Amino acid sequence: MDVVRICSSIEAAHLRKSYGARVAVDDLSFSVKAGEVVGLLGPNGAGKTTTLSMLATLIAPDSGEVRIAGIDSRVAPDDLRRKLGFVPQSIALYPPLSAFQNLEVFAQIHGLTRRSAEARCIETLEAVGLRDRADDPVWTLSGGMKRRLNLACGMVHRPAALLLDEPTVGVDPQSRESIFLTIRALADAGAAMLYSTHYMEEVERMCDRALLIDGGKLIAQGTVAELIELGGRHPRMEITFAKPPRPGWYDGLPGVKEAAPASIKTKVALELTNLRQVSELLELAHNAGGQQVEFAVHSPNLSDAFIALTGHALRGATTEI
Amino acid sequence: MLRTAWIVFRNEFRLLARDRAALFMLVLAPLVIITVAGLSLGNIYGAQPGAEPYSIVVVNDDHGWLAHALVDALGRDPLVTVVSVANLIDARAIVGGRARAPLCILIPAGTTGAFEAGRDVHLRLYIDPVKRLEAGAIELNLDRLCREVTTRAHDLAQARMTEQSSHLRDQLAQASNQMKDATAELGQMRRQIESDRATAQAEMTARISQAIEQIRAATVAQIDLSLAQTETAVEGDLAARHDALIAVSRYLGQLQASQRGFETWLAKLKSAAGSHASQIPAPPQWPAQPGQAVLAELSKPLDFPAPRIDAAVPIALPNIAIGLPSLPRLPDFGAMPDLGHIVSRTSALPGTIGWNEHSITGGEANVNTFDQYVPGFGITFLLVDMLWGVGVGLMDERDWGTLARLRVSGAPASGMMLGKLMSRFLIGLGQMILLFGAGWVLFGISLGHNSWALIFPAAAISFAAAAFSLVIACVANTRDAVLPIGAMAALAMSAIGGCWWPLDFEPYWMRALALAMPTTWTMGAFNNLMIRGLGPSSAAWPTGVTFAIGVVFLALGILSSSRIYDYSGQ
Repeated sequence: MDVVRICSSIEAAHLRKSYGARVAVDDLSFSVKAGEVVGLLGPNGAGKTTTLSMLATLIAPDSGEVRIAGIDSRVAPDDLRRKLGFVPQSIALYPPLSAFQNLEVFAQIHGLTRRSAEARCIETLEAVGLRDRADDPVWTLSGGMKRRLNLACGMVHRPAALLLDEPTVGVDPQSRESIFLTIRALADAGAAMLYSTHYMEEVERMCDRALLIDGGKLIAQGTVAELIELGGRHPRMEITFAKPPRPGWYDGLPGVKEAAPASIKTKVALELTNLRQVSELLELAHNAGGQQVEFAVHSPNLSDAFIALTGHALRGATTEI
Repeated sequence: MLRTAWIVFRNEFRLLARDRAALFMLVLAPLVIITVAGLSLGNIYGAQPGAEPYSIVVVNDDHGWLAHALVDALGRDPLVTVVSVANLIDARAIVGGRARAPLCILIPAGTTGAFEAGRDVHLRLYIDPVKRLEAGAIELNLDRLCREVTTRAHDLAQARMTEQSSHLRDQLAQASNQMKDATAELGQMRRQIESDRATAQAEMTARISQAIEQIRAATVAQIDLSLAQTETAVEGDLAARHDALIAVSRYLGQLQASQRGFETWLAKLKSAAGSHASQIPAPPQWPAQPGQAVLAELSKPLDFPAPRIDAAVPIALPNIAIGLPSLPRLPDFGAMPDLGHIVSRTSALPGTIGWNEHSITGGEANVNTFDQYVPGFGITFLLVDMLWGVGVGLMDERDWGTLARLRVSGAPASGMMLGKLMSRFLIGLGQMILLFGAGWVLFGISLGHNSWALIFPAAAISFAAAAFSLVIACVANTRDAVLPIGAMAALAMSAIGGCWWPLDFEPYWMRALALAMPTTWTMGAFNNLMIRGLGPSSAAWPTGVTFAIGVVFLALGILSSSRIYDYSGQ
């Protein structure tokens, strides 16, 4: 892929969107610089898709501003859109058309001439590893291939800013790796990328920075290390019991507290102050009548930071809006 | 297994209860179509027609009692309004221009007279072929009416004939009696005349015989007198002639004697003379001939008066005058019945009433059913296909996410909509052209005198259908709802708009509603061109209205298209 420096950015200022009494996005402000990949991390229902939809001008915010490459969405929405690439969460393709034809439609609708669109389509198909399936109808492609083509359609016109809404949902590891490489290459070419996901591993691997949102609000933002630091950097121990110990069984250990509310009685996540407390906790559990099945000790990560910052787990059960 | 069956069974009802589109199609859609069809076809099955019944235009050139009876009977039908006009030109204007005027009845001059004379009479029905079915329904009533009038006229004639027959029998009986009297009188008279004739004949014979005898006697006397006078005259004349004759006879005797003496002399002379015979002198002279007077007397004709009946002598004719007997007085037979008049009045039953069909536009009165159904169902399927192409297509694109992606591309929404509608418009137009071509090849439909003109209403309805589908997509707003709502709307619009049956079947309020539908106007244009065989100008107005309705649909669709682009629920 050609490397073209693109000086662009995504800016959101005080975005707010509500549906009736329910506030989906509340005073959300952030920015993404050119060549930067920023993760938008939050549980289902946190307001990720609403935020991306406002950035993509698909829905209008109740208040706040959106700027893409310096273009205000309220002033020149069509100009803004031409600078934008959008990879929706659902696969947005024409099933009866071939992979090439899908790409060609979106390339030409973004203003590429027929000849340049053809060359760009071949190049993009090559980039996402679908060159040999160019003429196959979309409905014949695997789920991973469709995801890659979905990404290709969003980037075929070389946008200044690319909005990706969970582009790896349901994708096999091979396709996921291909998508990561493609995104990284595009960012290296200068595009500002906002990457929405609830997979903290993807953010940890892909993103230069991350935005943690919950309940429509921005909880925290920064690099992965910064966010983990915000979470407290305490080790976490998860114990699974066949028979849970009596309540208050770890009260005697200083600094140990429940890391997250237990979803089931037989499993508990505890935040430790140091690693020596691991053996002490196992002994206390045994003394309290608990029969442990397994245990695991983790270094702190984004998930821990999210739990520390919001009080609940990243993978919520609420419905995405 | 039964438990599984029960769980699945119960779950199906749960699914159905949650599927509003299925419920809609299950109950509401058929109810709407049933209602539309039932109300539309109600008139066929005898429902009340509403505020505006059918108009039957009547041109009465007969003005006889039969014509008036027919018109009155037509007017008594609550389903019918009779509009009397002076001529066929006025009738043509009404039938062609008024919605519920399917036909004109022309009652030719002389119909009543011909009917009374027992001849079959025929009304002339000028029908609008587009309203063929309505005309058929009216013809059924007219047929019943004609049969009733004919039957009534026959019954009246039969009753009158029965009455007149009875009267005739009385008259004939009277005449028969009079004839018997006359016969007897005539017999008597004949005998009297024969007797008088015999007497007169005998007297006349006697008198004629007597007269003939008298005439004969007078005639004989006259003849006898005349003969006597003639005989006396002849005898006088013959006496003179007798004397002359004797003188001549004497002369002839002397002459004969002289001749013989001469011959003797001559013979002697000659013998004596020998060689001197030549010297013999001339013989002696013959005696002188009787005188001229004698000869004249002999040759003169007999001069005596012809016997004659003296006309001056009157012959008295006998008096043969006979006193003829006077003729006997003719008997008085009284007033004879006027049998000729009675016979002329009762000799014929009235004829029958029928009709001949003609097209009010001058073309064919009978219509190829495909002339109605090819454009009608063509429009229906155009609407449904357009619904699928535009309405469902938009919903598919939204569900696929491609619409959002196109929207994010910065391409103007108007351009995307224009491209979609234009392509579907051309596909719809092609579909209509193809259907008309197939109808022409397979079913022999009429394309009218200007088949090229069909493209204008076809284009107008294709445009309106595309815009209508956009409206449905905006109203329904989900793929599951577009089809049931759209199909119901398309089918109802086709039914109400006269695509499946003639518009005039429908009640007044439904026809008023139909005026807001493009199907109504398009069918009007197709009917004008194909069935009525009218010129392209006849399709201009309905095509224009169809296009205008399409513009309204398009405006509504554009105004509400934001619903399609509403991603807030995603």
